[in-house]
Amino acid sequence: MLLQVENLRMHLHLRRGVLQAVDGINLHVAEGETLGLVGESGSGKTLTGLSLLRLLPKGSGRIETGSIRLDGQELTTLTEAELARDIRGRRIAMIMQDPMTSLNPVFSIGDQVGGPLRNHDIARGTALRSAIVDVLKRVRIPSPEDRLGDYPHQFSGGQRQRIVAAMAIGCTPRLLVADEPTTALDVTIQVQIIALLRQIQHDAGVGIILITHDLGVAASLCRRIAVMYAGQIVETGPVRTIYRTPSHPYTQALLAAIPRLHSKRTRLAAIPGQPPSLIEPPTGCRFAARCPLRMDQCAEPPPTVDLGDGHSAACWKLTH
Amino acid sequence: MLELAGITKHYRTRNGIVRAVEDVSFTVPPKGTMALVGESGCGKTTIAKIILRLERPTAGIVRFEGADIATMSRAELHAYRRQVAAVFQDPYSSLNPRLRVHSIIAEPILAHERPGRAELDKRIAEVLDIVGLPATAATLYPHEFSGGQRQRIAIARALALQPRLMVLDEPVSALDVSIRAQVLNLLQDIQAEFGLTYLIIAHDLALVEHFSSDVAVIYLGRVAEAGPTEKVFANPRHPYTQALLAAVPLPDPDHVLSETAATGEIASALNPPSGCRFHPRCPHVFAPCSVVVPPAYPAGPGHHVACHLLKDLSA
Repeated sequence: MLLQVENLRMHLHLRRGVLQAVDGINLHVAEGETLGLVGESGSGKTLTGLSLLRLLPKGSGRIETGSIRLDGQELTTLTEAELARDIRGRRIAMIMQDPMTSLNPVFSIGDQVGGPLRNHDIARGTALRSAIVDVLKRVRIPSPEDRLGDYPHQFSGGQRQRIVAAMAIGCTPRLLVADEPTTALDVTIQVQIIALLRQIQHDAGVGIILITHDLGVAASLCRRIAVMYAGQIVETGPVRTIYRTPSHPYTQALLAAIPRLHSKRTRLAAIPGQPPSLIEPPTGCRFAARCPLRMDQCAEPPPTVDLGDGHSAACWKLTH
Repeated sequence: MLELAGITKHYRTRNGIVRAVEDVSFTVPPKGTMALVGESGCGKTTIAKIILRLERPTAGIVRFEGADIATMSRAELHAYRRQVAAVFQDPYSSLNPRLRVHSIIAEPILAHERPGRAELDKRIAEVLDIVGLPATAATLYPHEFSGGQRQRIAIARALALQPRLMVLDEPVSALDVSIRAQVLNLLQDIQAEFGLTYLIIAHDLALVEHFSSDVAVIYLGRVAEAGPTEKVFANPRHPYTQALLAAVPLPDPDHVLSETAATGEIASALNPPSGCRFHPRCPHVFAPCSVVVPPAYPAGPGHHVACHLLKDLSA
């Protein structure tokens, strides 16, 4: 297995209390596979991604328990220096939502795409230059040799996200964490970046964790889906199973709440209420307060029920 | 009810003239929901600002119930502003963080009327009740609410003067999926109850299809296609509308995305392409497209398409 995460807990120690941002996550990604980490804002999907690289909020973020293994190597016991040298940007790379904030406006794109290659000692001198041109070609920046000296503002939004992708794949990482990589883009540009991510995966066999709130984008890219709610994974399984026969009431509610193209105009099934605070969250099922199928049992933490074929969900209803 | 005729807006900048909106005409039917849909920079928000008279058009006329809003007297304009309200995208920046909800909702009322304290409190409680918030919410500050609740407060403020037209600029795009449905349903309930007319600006096509009765698809400041939502979505005739619809990833793992419906990037409004502004990206481009601006050809009742492909069909 490329990535295996077990019982990962990352809490934020704030002045107002301990925020259980990531609370007992289990997930795995196979080589060349895309796992969609789907959830709403505050569900902990971005912090799960950052926890893999131990890029935690300074001072407050702490990994409490759990294991993160990449190609069998345990990452939670590595030192900061080891992480910086061998993992971040080298074996696990990230693509963030907004290309304007992940690119530095005062450095040329040649410098920025070359940065990880230099830092990880992958290429120097003329070899570095041709490696930069090569990776920019792979993300389909037209005539990259002429544009190495250009700055981010001289590129369009879609091209900037291509450049961010080039920075990420330059060092041939094993795992790519893409956090809302198309959310800041227009729909006709989004489709181009989705195609690029598919191509990167196909060419490089890289494993991808796609973090998104957009169920359409997840469906178009992922083989498996993990649905997060309030810091926990409530359901995981093959993409078709999750979309066709979701088992967790939250997944069902989420799929019913979105307007769909070319479907009958019916009233949307809104989910009442809002997610709980993760400072002293409910001890039982965290979705219970909004759940139409709530029972007395839901005051206890629900077990994760294996539904076969890699499909599982954490809900008391499924034990009956 | 609301009619735009030949609305054009150019901005003079250091780098030249930005042609944000070019010759846009449409009519918003009373009690209907008109959607303006398009990608960023297409001019949809500029059109909303012109309707709200936050911007003046370079050319063209906006008529509200037949009256040109550019030539209204102070009193008429005052009356217009009573009848037209707006809800903006981001409920974090559209509500003043230093004011309590009571003052936020009272502000538009006090700009138009002088109600007594008890009357004012009663009206604020009423609009809060319409949007599903308790009367006690009036004593709190915006930061004490979630994003969805803040958008409810923004809607309550818009309702305070019992407007007839509401301009909704991306009203749910800052909200989470599970909260979006709550706010969309609320807006639909309010419309049905008070007979409001909506003009919604959105980029989410599934939302537009779900929410609107009529739609105008805008590309780089020009209307590409407009008509009854049902017709436009069932049978899109403009290659840009077709590209937009083909590019939407559906929540269905068996749906295959079209990666070729629109290639390239959106051009700059500073230097828009000649002829049809979509022609450099259009898979069906032919001789006249780069030279002649396509007129709006009829494609069915109330359905218009600005594309040369329809010329022979309509002749």
